[in-house]
Amino acid sequence: MIKTAQDIKSYKKQLKDALQDQFLRKALGNFNTAYRQNRADVYAETDFNTIKQEIAADKDAALPRLPALMQEFKRQAEAAGTHVHVAQDAVEANQIISRIAQDNAVQHIIKSKSMTAEETYLNDHLEKEGFNVTETDLGEWIIQLRHEGPSHMVMPAIHLSRYQVGELFNDVTNQNLDPEDIDKLVKVARKELRPAFLEADMGISGANFAIADSGTLGLVTNEGNMRLVSTLPRVHVALVGFDKLLPDLKSALKILKLLPRNATGQALTSYVTWIKGANECRSAPDHKKVMHVIFLDNGRLELARDPIFSEALRCIRCGACANVCPIYSKVGGHKFGHVYIGAIGLILTLFYHGRENDRAIVKNCLNCQACKAVCAADIDLPYLIKKTLRLVLDSDGRKSIKNFLLSKVMPNRRLFHFLIRQAYLAQKPLARKGPMIRHLPHFFDKQHGFRSLPVIASKPFRDRWQHLQVDVKKPKHTVSFFAGCAVDFIYPEQAEAMIKLIKDRSVKVVFPQEQSCCGLPALMAAEEETAGSLARQNFKAFEGNRSDIILTLCASCASHLKHYYPKIARQVGIPEKDMTAFVDKVMDFSSFMINVLDLSPDAFKAGDKKVAYHSPCHLCRGMDVTEEPRKLIETAGLNYVPCADEDVCCGFGGSYSVDFPEISAEILKQKLAGVLKSGADVLVSDCPGCVLQLKGGMDKQGHDIEVKHISEVVADQLKTKSK
Amino acid sequence: MKTKAEAVQAVVADTTNLESTFNYAIELTQQQGGRNLAAVGFTPEQWDMLDALCKTAGVNLLKPPLRDHGDAIDTAVTPVSWGLADTGTLVLPSAEEDIRLATMLADTHVACLRASQIKPDTESIQAELDHILKTEPATYVAFITGPSRTADIERVLAIGVHGPQELHILIRKDR
Repeated sequence: MIKTAQDIKSYKKQLKDALQDQFLRKALGNFNTAYRQNRADVYAETDFNTIKQEIAADKDAALPRLPALMQEFKRQAEAAGTHVHVAQDAVEANQIISRIAQDNAVQHIIKSKSMTAEETYLNDHLEKEGFNVTETDLGEWIIQLRHEGPSHMVMPAIHLSRYQVGELFNDVTNQNLDPEDIDKLVKVARKELRPAFLEADMGISGANFAIADSGTLGLVTNEGNMRLVSTLPRVHVALVGFDKLLPDLKSALKILKLLPRNATGQALTSYVTWIKGANECRSAPDHKKVMHVIFLDNGRLELARDPIFSEALRCIRCGACANVCPIYSKVGGHKFGHVYIGAIGLILTLFYHGRENDRAIVKNCLNCQACKAVCAADIDLPYLIKKTLRLVLDSDGRKSIKNFLLSKVMPNRRLFHFLIRQAYLAQKPLARKGPMIRHLPHFFDKQHGFRSLPVIASKPFRDRWQHLQVDVKKPKHTVSFFAGCAVDFIYPEQAEAMIKLIKDRSVKVVFPQEQSCCGLPALMAAEEETAGSLARQNFKAFEGNRSDIILTLCASCASHLKHYYPKIARQVGIPEKDMTAFVDKVMDFSSFMINVLDLSPDAFKAGDKKVAYHSPCHLCRGMDVTEEPRKLIETAGLNYVPCADEDVCCGFGGSYSVDFPEISAEILKQKLAGVLKSGADVLVSDCPGCVLQLKGGMDKQGHDIEVKHISEVVADQLKTKSK
Repeated sequence: MKTKAEAVQAVVADTTNLESTFNYAIELTQQQGGRNLAAVGFTPEQWDMLDALCKTAGVNLLKPPLRDHGDAIDTAVTPVSWGLADTGTLVLPSAEEDIRLATMLADTHVACLRASQIKPDTESIQAELDHILKTEPATYVAFITGPSRTADIERVLAIGVHGPQELHILIRKDR
C-alpha cells in the first residue's frame, strides 16, 4: 500500500529515513549522472527543442477536443469490433473492468505495466473481487510481490537492490539464486511468468496513444510482456486516460521521437505496438479477440478546461522530470509523489488523489528548473507546482506563519526594508564581529547548522549608491541596476565590484530607489498576490527611465522577472506588452560584460588562480546563459577548471533550504565534493543566493576555498592603472 | 540500418536468397540446442522448401496453428515489411495470430528483410502505416527494435525477458 505523508511533520520524518537509505542514495545518484549523459548522447542528432514545442502545440490543440476525439476513436474502434467505455472515476473504471471479467467467465488476469491502472488501484479491486491478477512487467511483478507501489513511472522497482530482488526470487523459486547474476534473476521472470501468460483468460494493459482517426492504440514497451498480454488471453482490456487521445498517427509518431529518448535514453524501445479492433485470437469465441477500451476521466476533462493546469495534461509519462530532479535523486519516488511521482506527480496528485496526499509533497520543490528543461511536452513544471501549492493552501484554509508574514510585510517596501535593517541589529551578537554566523541560537533545530550564514551588511547598497555613482558624459549605454534583496542587503560588495568594472567604460548606471524584492520568495510560498504586487512595484520603479539594459547580479531575480512578470502582468493591471518590453531588457552580469562591453583580456592582470564555476539554475536554464560566465573567467586572466555537475542545483532554493534543510544539505554536500575534486582555489557563481549557500557550506566544512560572486573575482583582476 | 540494429543487440547478416536464410535459421536452431522451428508469412512453395530443408536437417517445423505448441517454439522465421534505418527497427504487420505467437514466444527470431524495403525513418512509412490502420478491419502492427530487454533491476541492461532473447536480421539484396 502507498502511504504518502499527509502532514509536513510526518513527511519530514519519512524524508529523514529515506536519506539514510545508503543503497537508494547510491543507486539514484548513479542513475541521475548516467541518465543525463545518455540523454545528451541520444539527442546528438535529434532536435529536442523543436520537437517538444511541436508536441506541446499538438497536445494543446487536442486537449479542448478530448470528448470529440473520444467519439471519433469510438466510431472507428467500434467499427473494428472494439467495445469502448467511458469511466468517470477510478471506481467506475474498476467496476467496468471487473464486470467485463465476470461477463467473460475470467479467472486469471495478466497485466502489463499501466500507470493509469496504478492510479485507480485496479489490482486491489480485482483481487477483492476474487480474480487472480499477475503483473508481468518485471519491475511491476517485483513490487506486486512486495505489495508496494511504483517508485518511478518507467522503472517501478528502481528503489530495490539486486539483493532484495534476489531474496524475493529465492522465495518464489525455492532456490538459492546468485543475486550478482542479474541476467539469471531476469530469467526467473521469463520462466515463472510463462505459465501465467499461457493460462490467462484476460489481459489488461494501458496505452501511450489513442489515435482518434483510426481507432488505434499505440503502446511503447521493452520487455515483450505487453505483446503477450494483448495476444494470448481471449480478452484484452486497455485502460487509457483521456489525455492519451490524439487526432492522428502523425502526432503519435512525433511523441514517439522523444518518449523513449527522454525515458530511458533509447532511440526507440524494443517494441512499439499498434492495435486496432478485435484481432484474430484462436482461444476466443469466433476466433476474435474480445477487445475493450476504457477511457478514464477521473478529473481529466475538467483539468483540460482549466486555463492554467491543462498544461499538466500534456505529460507523456516519460519520467524525465524525476530522472533529473536533485531531490528525487536523494529521497526516491516513494517520498516524492503519491502514485505519480516526480515533478508532474507533485501536480497530478492533487487532481487524481486529493489534497491530503499532496499537502506535504507539493512543498518539496527547489524551483531549480531541471525538470522544465527536460520536459518532452514543454510543461512549466516548477510554475505549476507553485500553482498547485496555492490550491492546496487555499483549500486547507490555513496559512503558515511564513505565508502570513510574506503577505503582510513584503508588499510594503518601506516596512520590509525597515525590518531587514532591524535584523542587522538583532544578528550582531551572533556574528561576534566575524563575517559569518557559525553557530545558530538554540531555538533553531540543529539540522539548520549545515552551513554558516552571512551577516546582513551594516550599510545596504541602496545607502552606498549616492557615493558610488559617477557622472558619465555621452554614455554609450545607460543601464538600470536591479539589485535584488541579497545583493542590496547582504552582499553590497558584489555590486561595488560591478561598479568598479564598468565605471570607466562609458556606461551610465541608474539605481531606482523604489525597487523592491523581485517577488520570487513570495511565489515560492505561493503568495501570488504578494508576488504580483512586487512585480507591479518594480515595473513602476523602472518605468520611464531610458535605459537599454536592466542589469542584475542575481540569476534568480533575472529569471523570475523574465518568466513570471509577463505571466502576471494583466492581473496587476499592466499591459502584457509593456511588461514584456520591461523584462526583455533584463540581462545578467556575465552576458553584459562579454556581449555588451566586449571586455578585452588586456584590461586584466595575468593570474594563476584556479577558478571553479557553479552554474546557477536560474542562469543556465532560466536565462539560457551558459558560455558567457566561463568566457568571462578566462578573459579576466583566470584559470577556469571544470568540475562535475556544474549545472546541478546547489540546494539553496531560497526558503527551500530553511524548509527542507536535510535535503538542501545533502545536495550541497555533493556539489562541494565536486568542487573539491577539481582542485580549484576559488569557486565563483553569478547568483548571490548560490554564493550564500556555497560559501556557508565551504565555511562550515572548514575548507579554505574562497567562494565569491563572479563580479568580485573579475574586479580583483583589473590592472591597477584602469582603476 | 546495420549499425543501428547492432547497437541494440540485433545480429545482422547479408543473404542472397531465401534458401540461405532458411538454412541460417535451421543451423542457428541446432547450434542453440533447439528442436522446433516456426515459420509464418511465407507462400506454400516457400513453406515446402523450408519443410524439406528442416527434414534433411532433422529440425521439427511446427504446423499451424501455433497456439497448439504453446511454449515449445525455439526459433521463429518471418518476413518483415520494412526496416527503419535510423533506429534499426523492423516493421511487421501481425494481424495473423501465428505471426504474433511466433515472434513473441520464440527464443530466437530470424527476420527476413529485403534491402529495397529499408526506409530512412518512421516518417517515411507514416503514409503506409496510416493506410493499414485506416483500411484493415482489425490490425496489429509491431515495430521491433532488437531483442526483448529490461533494466528493471538496478538499471542493468538484461536481454531477453518475455520476448525473443535474440533477434537476427537477414538482409536480402534485391536482384
